Amino acid sequence: MSISAAHTYPPQIKTPGNLSERVSALRQYYFMGTKRKWNNEFTSWTTGTPWDVQFNEMTYHIVPETYLLLQTMRGSYRQAARPVKLPGDFWSKPIVERRAWFIREVMVNNLPKEILPGDLIAGGRFNIQASMCLTEEEQKEYDARSCGKKGARKAVKWFHDHGYGNTGATSGHLIPGHKRALELGWKGISADLEKRYNSLSSMEKTGEKGAQLRAMMTAATLPKDLAAGYAALCKDLAAREKNSDRAAELEQMTKNLEKVPWEPAKTFWEAVQALWINHMLVISDENYPGPGVSFGRIDQYLLPYWEYSLKNGMDREFGKEILRCFWIHCNAAYDAMIKNGKQGITSGFGQLVSLSGLGENGRDMTNDLTFAMLEVIDELSPILEPKPNVRIHKNSPEKLLDKLADMISTSQGAPFLINFDERSMAGMMRESATSGLSHLINKSNVFDYAPVGCLENTMAGNDRSGTVDCNLNLLKAVELALTGGKDLVPFFDTLINKTEKIRQDGPFTGDATRFKTFEEFFDAYVRQTGYIIKKCVSLYEKTESTRAAFLPTPYLSCLVSGCAQKAKDITRGGAEISFVTIEGVTFATTVDSLLAIKHLVFDEKKCTMAELIEALKANWDGWEVLRAQAINRAPKYGRDDDEADAMAKRVMDLWADETWKHKTLSTGRPFRPGMLSWNYWAGDGFVMAASADGRKKGEFLSNAICPSNGADTNGPTANANSAGKALGGKAADGNGDWEDYMNCLPNGASHTITFNPSIIKDPEHREKFKAYLKGYAQNGGTCLQINMLDPDMLKDAQKHPANYSNLLVRITGYNAYFTAIGKELQNEVIARVSHSKF
Amino acid sequence: MKNKEDTATILEIVRMSTEDGPGIRTTVFFKGCPLSCAWCHNPESISVRPQVVWVETRCIGCRTCEDVCDNSAISHTPDGIEINREKCVACGDCATECPTTALEIFGKKWGVEELAVEVLKDRAYFSNSGGVTVSGGEPTIQAGFTAAFLARLRKEGIHTALDTCGLTTKNALEKILPHAAMVMFDLKIMDPDDHKKFCGQDNKAILENARFVADYIRSHIYPKELWIRTPLIPNATASEKNISAIGGFIADNLSGVVTRWDLCAFNNLCRDKYRRLGIDWMFTNTELMTAEELDCLGKAAENSGVDPKIVLTSGSTRLDENTEDKEPAQSTGGNIRLCCSTGPQLD
Repeated sequence: MSISAAHTYPPQIKTPGNLSERVSALRQYYFMGTKRKWNNEFTSWTTGTPWDVQFNEMTYHIVPETYLLLQTMRGSYRQAARPVKLPGDFWSKPIVERRAWFIREVMVNNLPKEILPGDLIAGGRFNIQASMCLTEEEQKEYDARSCGKKGARKAVKWFHDHGYGNTGATSGHLIPGHKRALELGWKGISADLEKRYNSLSSMEKTGEKGAQLRAMMTAATLPKDLAAGYAALCKDLAAREKNSDRAAELEQMTKNLEKVPWEPAKTFWEAVQALWINHMLVISDENYPGPGVSFGRIDQYLLPYWEYSLKNGMDREFGKEILRCFWIHCNAAYDAMIKNGKQGITSGFGQLVSLSGLGENGRDMTNDLTFAMLEVIDELSPILEPKPNVRIHKNSPEKLLDKLADMISTSQGAPFLINFDERSMAGMMRESATSGLSHLINKSNVFDYAPVGCLENTMAGNDRSGTVDCNLNLLKAVELALTGGKDLVPFFDTLINKTEKIRQDGPFTGDATRFKTFEEFFDAYVRQTGYIIKKCVSLYEKTESTRAAFLPTPYLSCLVSGCAQKAKDITRGGAEISFVTIEGVTFATTVDSLLAIKHLVFDEKKCTMAELIEALKANWDGWEVLRAQAINRAPKYGRDDDEADAMAKRVMDLWADETWKHKTLSTGRPFRPGMLSWNYWAGDGFVMAASADGRKKGEFLSNAICPSNGADTNGPTANANSAGKALGGKAADGNGDWEDYMNCLPNGASHTITFNPSIIKDPEHREKFKAYLKGYAQNGGTCLQINMLDPDMLKDAQKHPANYSNLLVRITGYNAYFTAIGKELQNEVIARVSHSKF
Repeated sequence: MKNKEDTATILEIVRMSTEDGPGIRTTVFFKGCPLSCAWCHNPESISVRPQVVWVETRCIGCRTCEDVCDNSAISHTPDGIEINREKCVACGDCATECPTTALEIFGKKWGVEELAVEVLKDRAYFSNSGGVTVSGGEPTIQAGFTAAFLARLRKEGIHTALDTCGLTTKNALEKILPHAAMVMFDLKIMDPDDHKKFCGQDNKAILENARFVADYIRSHIYPKELWIRTPLIPNATASEKNISAIGGFIADNLSGVVTRWDLCAFNNLCRDKYRRLGIDWMFTNTELMTAEELDCLGKAAENSGVDPKIVLTSGSTRLDENTEDKEPAQSTGGNIRLCCSTGPQLD
């Protein structure tokens, strides 16, 4: 027998496998979408006052595509809202108590309850738009602050239109204290709240603290009463069920729901049922469909229940069946705006689960439940939620890496993100040291960090760090340094068909055409960076302070340590760890633009600064040769070129240091730096002026910590090395933030690398891929998204060769640039990649 | 003055190579080869001299190259840039000044230390099995440099591999072998006349060197293993007779030392490279092999007397017209590697 290099390559399109009839039916039903009879779309509920508003538009200020729709959405939820009967003393109570009562009333007594056929988990409907419960005067003020003439909406639109980015206090993006809630039950949480309330002075009881704790005590009864409703339903269904197996399941579900989430969970089924209700009610409380409401280390805190039930006779396959139902439930978040088509506009839900990772004393925490969950993901894929992040580190077990490589080879790309522990923990330790939080984040607990949303690292159960609230285009500072504080090109408003006059916005940092050295230019850039960060911070304050004043989330506050202790809502900074993250966008475009200015104007003198500015104003039209030099001759970040990467580090340190200097005024939350992975870099490419790296207006900006599109000519290893260096690399003396790892972005940084499918084509190559991951753990960033090259990208490269001039084709010993080979040969390559179904 | 062994002319350094030995490797392609195989996939590696090429799709027609060429070797024609190979001295001025990199110079001088620093950048990815491969071209031509370079890497604990066409001197091999953890050795054609016809030289010295390397491995701790590589070229090497003969040679002379025999299917994607270098290529219209042909040659290899477990076939085979509807043939597409990253990706 010969060893064949071909084996099972190429694989087929991924289809779900090993699914029971039950789960197949639930999954299929889910994917019927709008054709479903049952769904979980938003229902809207009102106090019945004429001024009542449900839709909190500020949670959408970070989604620029929605700016023109906000007024409509506000109107349509108002119109559709059904009245809820209020108790007589409703309006005499503070906002937080009104809201706690109202949400509870909607969820327990108004929203219908159903169990889908075969489902093992109760809790179907949770997407609601509930009244803000404001008096006329309060509502007027909220409206003025959000959509008034001087309100946040107008200001953020200006901010976005002029290329700065976007900002707004939005929901989710945290890991509630699920471990505690399962261990104590809401009974325990309630008892704790009561104890705290009783220890308040009578003055405090009549004040804000008392109101907050009373509201939380009300909220803490919600899961119990909701579960009782579902228990009654299950009991009823069981009595009418003809199939005895199903009847037994429904009877067990009744028992589960009569116990949890009020009592501590004991069995795996109870724990998953409790977890689901506890989780979905966060979404109800925030009126927002699962935006990064993440589960954290689910394979760790569910493990005791898994082991208990396995020991007491639960079939492992049945345990997985419970998980599969849980997985399907998470997808119901997408129903929120199901009729609007595009999955609730943002489709960025990100209810993350974290799997595997380090524990105490460098121990690897991979366990049987880790694998059970990976199996479930593999079997259900493709599916949307919950999104898995698998944590790996230098000593991750081969068995885990094998499973990951296998899953990647049978899916179209990786069905998970990979988080890298050492670099991530270094970032959390930096945060701790910078902000004096060593009592909350330290060597003996930092391994319990977990990502939220996409990849944003936080601690669990006591941390809200606003990880999508501020998204700042770092490149704007380069533009302002070129012009001395003004937009490079005037903003044209397509709605009113008018060009705005350019105004002095940033500080005047000198006439760039008179700068003699690059350092003079860089000084101007430094000042403008300080300016754009300050501008972002003060704009954010508008929504942060409004949320703090009017939009408490008492249920969520029960699940986050610090809120009960301080008797302060999470929206007021109640969480023990409470940051706001500025997510830096356009990083590589910024670095490459600075490198190009240095190269073209100062080092090689290919043009004067005035000519360069002229070229950028003309969107490079008529400056093709200079543009080609900017693209091809100036150094670029992402190639493991030490000179270019030193610039990347300089840019990174500068903006990170500036970010740490700020705090919210209304809630005292410090700002921290990060780089998330949302698609602003694509959309804002059409907003921001041409840049010195050769990018035209209308072309994409760079994504998170990734090199500019096509700039990483030295392949995935060089790309990863550059990202690691930009974050701080390794400490030469071994004393980094964590071991020798340095990381100035506690939030972490999104990194996407596209691989050729052949990297996982057979067991020999899968070993190579594993070696890459191990290398990335040493040298790379915090988080990696693995894409596999697909025919669409190659076809696009055929059509737009300029964007892909560095796409390298390697075929056993033969190297060539894809765009440099003839069309016929290109078609051949495309046919081959298509053929492999990637 | 610099000793000539202090520097070498390097064609290219490829990082994260997955096809040049075990694990993830950084492959250093030396420029210059004593053979001139008719099918060579990397014709730019044959001449030891630096060479200028023009990549049409990158050119914006700015004519900077015409202006900077002191030898008037470049002219702008309706078909694009024409390089007069007689006049061109490969000084590289045009490539340096070309704003788009449409003009490239193949071949750059590197010193041992700077080359070592460059390849060590990826040591984190080498893990237990990967490392650095010297290939070409032919790395033994610049034997002193190659030996010094590999010795430098060995000192760092890096796994090193020598990839050779086999036409070299024992002296060169003796210099290099002590520093190579493994050797990849090409055996292409057993018939001496055919070898001369297709590769420009007969194979006597190559076969002797193969035996020498095998003996060396048997009697030394380093290198540890030998891989044989045979390109399968239609109408040249890809006959059952030739494969059986190579297998027979391996079985008779190299047994116990060879741990892998790679049969790599012909590919024709380098047509454009020949065009750009201004060379007519005899395989321009040669199609890829069919999967059946590849399979057949694999069988011939397995039955040639070698341990069948060491035989490994790889490479692209012909796609059928209606490929999309068919069950994929086993080895198709398997070796296309595109090493560019960060495509546009919304997340």
